This record gives sequence, C-alpha cells and structure tokens, in this order.
Amino acid sequence: MAETVLRKPMKATHSINDAFASKFAKSMFLTVSAIIVLMFIGTRMFTHVDLNLYGYMVGTFVFIAGFFYRFIAWGERPPTKIIIKKGIKLLFRKSTPKTSVNHLGTYEFIWNRGIYRWTQHLLIGWGVILSCLVTFPLVFGWMYFTMEESGYYTIVAMGMDLITVPADGVIAFLSYNALNITAIMVIIGVCMALYRRLKNMQAKAEQKFLYDFLPLYLLLFISITGLILTFMNVFLHGAGHYAMSLIHQYSVIVTLIYLPFGKLAHIPFRPLSVFARNYREHYGEQSMKECKVCGDEFVSTEQSQDVVNVLGTNEIDFTMEKDGFNLAELCLPCRRKYRISRFAGFPTHEVKTKEANQNAKG
Amino acid sequence: MKKRLYIELENCIGCRSCLAACTQCGGHEERNRNYVYDVNPHVNRQTMPLMCLHCENPACARSCPAQAIQIHETGAVLSALVEKCIGCQNCTIACPYGIPKFDEEQNLMYKCDLCIDRTKDGIPPMCASVCPSNTLQWLTEEEIEQKQRRHDLDNDKWVTSMPYLEGATNVKVNLPGILQGTEKLF
Repeated sequence: MAETVLRKPMKATHSINDAFASKFAKSMFLTVSAIIVLMFIGTRMFTHVDLNLYGYMVGTFVFIAGFFYRFIAWGERPPTKIIIKKGIKLLFRKSTPKTSVNHLGTYEFIWNRGIYRWTQHLLIGWGVILSCLVTFPLVFGWMYFTMEESGYYTIVAMGMDLITVPADGVIAFLSYNALNITAIMVIIGVCMALYRRLKNMQAKAEQKFLYDFLPLYLLLFISITGLILTFMNVFLHGAGHYAMSLIHQYSVIVTLIYLPFGKLAHIPFRPLSVFARNYREHYGEQSMKECKVCGDEFVSTEQSQDVVNVLGTNEIDFTMEKDGFNLAELCLPCRRKYRISRFAGFPTHEVKTKEANQNAKG
Repeated sequence: MKKRLYIELENCIGCRSCLAACTQCGGHEERNRNYVYDVNPHVNRQTMPLMCLHCENPACARSCPAQAIQIHETGAVLSALVEKCIGCQNCTIACPYGIPKFDEEQNLMYKCDLCIDRTKDGIPPMCASVCPSNTLQWLTEEEIEQKQRRHDLDNDKWVTSMPYLEGATNVKVNLPGILQGTEKLF
C-alpha cells in the first residue's frame, strides 16, 4: 500500500497544471489571456481601443487578482469545496435556470424578507449589473460606436456591425443614457438602504460603518460623480470634464479593487446559493436520511454524511458511542430533546410525543 | 467587565418568558431563537430551557461553506450574515444541540446571537433579563466562581462541560442538582 503511494509521483504526468506555480497563477493567466484575446477580436486587432478608459482596464486586472486571491483561498475550506465540486456536477439540472433567475435575478427570497428591502436591492443590484454590462464591453472594446454615415450610429459588438440606428432615435438615446439611468437606479436604491440603516432597529443593532456603510457610500460616490460628468457635458459645455472623469474613474477603480474583500463580495459569490439549492434538491430526491430516534426524514443522506466528514476534517466528532448514533443523524427536535436528556439524566428523546410549540408570538 | 450567560437548569418553571423576550430583541425580527422543553412531558412538569451555548469551536461555523456565521469578539457565535447565507442548511445538521432555525421562504438561517447589540455593551441578553426564576443569569466570571465554590463537590460535576456537552462553551450550564447529588432548598 505504502509502496504504491510512494511510486505515484514518479509517473510522468502532462497536466496543464504543471505549467503553473499555483492555482492562482493559472487562473490569472488564463483569465487575462482570455480577456486580451477577446479584446483583440472585439477591437478589430486593437484598432478601436478607447484609451480614455485605460485606467478601468488596469483597475479590472487588479480586481481580477484580488478576486482570485480571495475566492481561491475561500474555496479551499472543506465545506466550500464540497458545495463547489458537487454544485458544478449538478449545474445542468432541469431546475437550474429557474433557480438562477429566482436567486440572482428577481430575488424572491429578499421579497420575503420585506418589500422595501427587495426594492432597494433590486435597484442597487440591477443598477450595478447593468452598469457593468455597459462599462466593461466599452473598456475592453467589445462594444463601440462608429458613425460612417452622418446622423447614423453603428453599434459594433465583438468587431461585428450589430445595428445602425439614427443618432436621435430611441435606441441611441438609451445607449448614451444607459449609465445615467443605472446611476439614478443606484442612487435611489442606496438612499433607501441608508434610510433603512438609520431607522431600522434590526439594522442599527448589527451594522458597522466599514462593513455596511462604506460600500453604500462608494456606490453613491460613483453614481453621483458619473451623473455630474453628464451634467458638465450637457449643461456646462464640458467644463471640468477631465478632472471629474478622473475622480469618477478613481472611485470606480477603488470600489473594484475593494469589491472582493468587503460586503460587495456577495455579488460574485452569490451563485453558490444556486449550487446549494441544486445540491439539496438532487440528493434529497436520491435518498433521505431517517432520524435515528423518531424515523422522520429530515435531510439528504449525502448532506448528512458530508457534514459529518467536514466536521471530521476539523477534528469535531459527535458520535455518541453509548447511544449508537452520530448527532447529525438525529432530526432537529430529537437532537434538542437528546440534549435535555443529557442534562436531566432522563431519556426525553425517547418519549413519543410531539415537540411542544417553540415559536413564541412576542 | 466580561459577563457570561449562566444557566441553572432545574430552576426553570416553564413560563416561556425567555421565548417571548427573545422575539422582542432589536435584532431578532420578532422570531425567537431559543427553546423550552418538558423533560418528561407525560409524567411531570419539569422544564428546561435550551439555547445556543456559543461553542468555543462552533460546528455550525465550521460547516458553513459561505463563512456566513461569524464569531464576535465577545465569543458570541452570531446569526448568519443575511447577504452571505446561501441556504444550504449545513449548520442545522452540524450543530450538536439542534439550535439553528431555517426560514425556507427567506432562504436564511437564523440563530441566537446572544442579543449581540445588548451583550456587546454588557447589557444582559433579553432571555436572561426577563427570566423570573433565575434559570438564566448574566454573571461575571467571579460570580460564576462563587457559584462553583458553593457547589464544590470535588467531583468536577458542578458545571456541564464534557461529557454533558460536546465541547467548551461560552455559556456556562449548571447541572441539575439531581446529577450532582445535591438538593437545592428554595
């Protein structure tokens, strides 16, 4: 047995991973290469790079480095590793599109936490997502506008002429003003969030300035400087444009670099809730764990075993030798009653009676 | 001065004031996070409270893939961060005492946070501040030591650490007199 373990590394492998010093190096290299290739295609061989937006490009690369640093470290945690691995395997479940739209697009779970919070989150969330969908294609030249014929703009996407629209038409108007519209969405949403944080008891109890307020102020700062930029161009004939565009650019770059490390990290991280839902649904359909005391099905066999293993890697083991079960094999009411039995010395969990109502109504 | 939640189990009279008070904590959105159980429901009226014991090495946080369960500097194991919780429910399976509750509709776990908005400033948690029978108390280390001296039986049994619990906890639980071989005079 030991021999085979020793011999294993001797075997020559030709994995792509051997070319890189670490997972981080590999992810960085592949991502930056992919972006540059896409830029090459999108900008018709680098002939349409908007160098005004050069700062954003550098900022994005720094952001990607921070993103991989943060999320590779986080993905190494045993429970995270399991969810990611099994989540990717289950990605093509029939219910994935529906769950994704629900969790990442319409936020039904936030609606259930309160309509006010849903509204603010929808405005901020979609304001930011739409802004990114406009900004980054412009930064990397995946989308740009040309005017070959006077009065008509051609929208070029990935190097291909997509559509030619009148310069004073609706589509053109929405294109110029996309970031103004999203800025207004974000400003309204952030103001709602700030108001809630000032008034709501729950929020006041738990919030911290750096964790909860700073991201909101950063988003507000970006949106307001962006709108001021439009204001300067439209009403002040461009006075102060260059100074303001730098201020705006720096605010975006700082936010991008900060994004993977603060509260905003939940944006790239959130797709995991789809993984988690698939994981629960898939393994729940396969086989359910029966409570060792009352026999009720309460969790999938797979998840119960995964949790026991994860705790094992942390050197936590809840096997009750005397009673012949692991605590993870007991449904929640039985597990609580079992604890009472340990306190009282009387086997409360073995009394066949329904758990008394535990939900107080204030 | 650091204070701890201290539970004298057999004092419980089953009034469930702690449950009602829990709902009224500023950070609890009117949902209680603690439990009161009948010890032997068909035979007598003895009850005992059960709440998060704030493990020093919390299994819930260890099993959380999202790092949504944070540990406060006071030692309190906090409820899931709303933006991080992905609704996998690992914590409910991991907790050896079955404490975390899960809201399916909000896709969110919630648990006792020891009323962190109060206890971080030394104010007792809601449950301890309303308990009429001194089951739940908010005591300094010295007061807990005094309790220990009064219960000193030279058999290490005064407080439920191992083997009655699954590990060291920040909440101290006094074993019922019957397990300690003492009778309490009220």
